[in-house]
Amino acid sequence: MRKFLFPLLAVAFVLSSCSAARQSLANKDTAQYRYEIECAGNAIQGTYLVKVWTYSRSAGIAENQCRKNAVHGVIFKGYGGGQGCVSQRPLAPQPGIETQYKDYFDSFFATGGEFQKYASIIGGTTETVRVGNEYKVGVVVSVRKDDLRKALEAAGILRKLNSGF
Amino acid sequence: MKKSLLTIVLACIAVLASAQIKKPELMVVPSDVWCITNGYYTEVENMGSVTKVPNYKQALQENMGLKLAIAKLNDLMAEREFPLQSLEQMIKNLEQRRMEDNMTMSKAGNELAESPLDEVARMAKCDIILELSWEVKDFGPKHSLSYILEARDAYTAKSIGAASGTGAPSMTADVDVLLEEAIVANMDNFNLRLQDHFTEMQTIGREINLDIKVFANNAAGVDLETEFGGEELVDVINNWLQLNTIQGRFSMPYASENVANFTQVRIPVYDERGRAIDANGFAKQLAKHLRQAPYNIPCKVMVKGLGRAVIVLGEK
Repeated sequence: MRKFLFPLLAVAFVLSSCSAARQSLANKDTAQYRYEIECAGNAIQGTYLVKVWTYSRSAGIAENQCRKNAVHGVIFKGYGGGQGCVSQRPLAPQPGIETQYKDYFDSFFATGGEFQKYASIIGGTTETVRVGNEYKVGVVVSVRKDDLRKALEAAGILRKLNSGF
Repeated sequence: MKKSLLTIVLACIAVLASAQIKKPELMVVPSDVWCITNGYYTEVENMGSVTKVPNYKQALQENMGLKLAIAKLNDLMAEREFPLQSLEQMIKNLEQRRMEDNMTMSKAGNELAESPLDEVARMAKCDIILELSWEVKDFGPKHSLSYILEARDAYTAKSIGAASGTGAPSMTADVDVLLEEAIVANMDNFNLRLQDHFTEMQTIGREINLDIKVFANNAAGVDLETEFGGEELVDVINNWLQLNTIQGRFSMPYASENVANFTQVRIPVYDERGRAIDANGFAKQLAKHLRQAPYNIPCKVMVKGLGRAVIVLGEK
């Protein structure tokens, strides 16, 4: 029994290290805007409905990362319109704002970070496409943009519409 | 001792409060094209030609979609802590004002030379007018809604920004639902443009146009080339503007002995007492300066809406 214990623990360690490395790579991809975001239809007041395509060697990690990418995209990237959808500018269109508030956003987008409060995956919308040696996973996400904007305003990152008056 | 300390503290609070810029007033009005397309207008004969003038009161009384759109926009702007002024209430106040004007007009001998929109803007003292229009387009059994919301500076009539687009065609949704969807979907982009404008206004002031004219053969015998201490009057005005505009921002595209036009004049949003200044208020400050020694020039200030004023030199 003891003979198998060490190899089993070693395999478990290697697997968890791989998963952590993939998660770390996924976070790096998010920071480098390596995802696609598009409008997924008209949403209810206070939210955006977006479809996010995330790349990863692990389909599971890509699916998890979609929520983070959706929030990241709404804050920094915005998305195009068409077919009845209205294109939206990013909440923070100022160039360099992500670097300026790096500490805040590092904590905000950390695994299990505050970003989770503002995004929900719409069930049954996952699409997975194999692209070379990785997966491209698309998920429709509802982002509570009004609450997100208020949180960024409260943190002093975005200006309120009535600030200065 | 305590009393004087309290007085000092209260004075400081008052100074700080007055230093803060007041919030601009916004109001939604249906656009001219929407009013005319939907039959909410009156025909006015002016110098032989017939002009269609929007009838806001009729539109508000008869079109439920307009009321819904204004309510929705108000809701969204209130959520951003920017409640809108009510056009309906403004019209009621305007009618009251017109009644009063009619009583005094013959005595003053002045004519009302403002468009309905100018009149509303002046009455409302609103800084920004949001012009709204929409149109339903049918594609067989489906229909979609095209929507435009344009913000206009009430002072200069310049466009601040617009949100527009055509929604997805639908067979089932009614016009009110499509309109609400369009408003909600377009509001964020629109507000970003408004924010850009507010930032600009806080930095470089409000923009107006100012014209200086001279009464022909005036009793004071002045024109814009009259010299005061070796300096022509037009230069005196230039110097005053340099000192009293934000960052000395203005341009003078044309000047002669009888006329000087100043455009893109950036004036402070509020005076030292915290009162909003429009073109009229700013022109009055200049007129006051010209009436004083050593110039002693009688001047008349004529109002042309919030963003344009004319000072006529030579007579009152």
